[in-house]
Amino acid sequence: MDKLTRTWLTLIALILATVSLAPFGGRIASAGLLALAFLKARTILGRFLHLDGAPGWLSVATVPLAIWLIVLWGLNAVALR
Amino acid sequence: MRLDDLPGELIMWILIASEVLVFAAGVTVLMALWLTDPQGFSAAQGQLEGRMAALNTVILVTSGLFAARAERAAAAGQRREARIGLLLAALGGILFLVVKGVEYSRDIGAGLGMESHPFFTFYYLLTGFHAAHVIAGVVVLGLVALRARADAVQAGAMFWHMVDLVWVLILPPIYLLG
Repeated sequence: MDKLTRTWLTLIALILATVSLAPFGGRIASAGLLALAFLKARTILGRFLHLDGAPGWLSVATVPLAIWLIVLWGLNAVALR
Repeated sequence: MRLDDLPGELIMWILIASEVLVFAAGVTVLMALWLTDPQGFSAAQGQLEGRMAALNTVILVTSGLFAARAERAAAAGQRREARIGLLLAALGGILFLVVKGVEYSRDIGAGLGMESHPFFTFYYLLTGFHAAHVIAGVVVLGLVALRARADAVQAGAMFWHMVDLVWVLILPPIYLLG
């Protein structure tokens, strides 16, 4: 199996995990759904967009992304109070 | 860490960052507005058809695989394989738009218009703007398939992965976090 097919299978597995978690409500489920979105984004950035092979640049993309997703989780957590 | 380390053209990375920021701004405003009427926003979101969104995610990442294969083939000088990959990726984009169209028809048929609730204003704006990028991406993939030059195919594939990236990021706030 080549690297691109493994990347695709990883993304499909993350989608299935998202579908499994989606029916659950609450802050923990929200955190899980956003974490899965982060992993999907990281997979696309790292493997399809080749940032895995660009020293330092993957962190430049994923650190702000993680911070933004945490902000979204915070807003969602307040809304769920 | 140097600019030269970035794969592809720098202008493509500027485009990707700009597009992600625009969608991130829209989603952040949506989530902030949610605080003004949590029950109303959650009830509005509950009327969406999440299964179609999940199906579209599978379609888009599969399409991304074909775009990545096209890029690899073009880099190896295999133009025929590159064209096949690009056309399959574009076909995935068209399929995505068909499913999105069915979803919009269902929503509108259920009386869920842009003015039904502020949630739906953002829903149509964000997913509609994304769909516009899918249309642009299908055109770009078709154009770069004509000559299938390695640098052009890479740029087309990068645009397509950006469309994929934006979708996986806007999906949870729009369809799942309620």
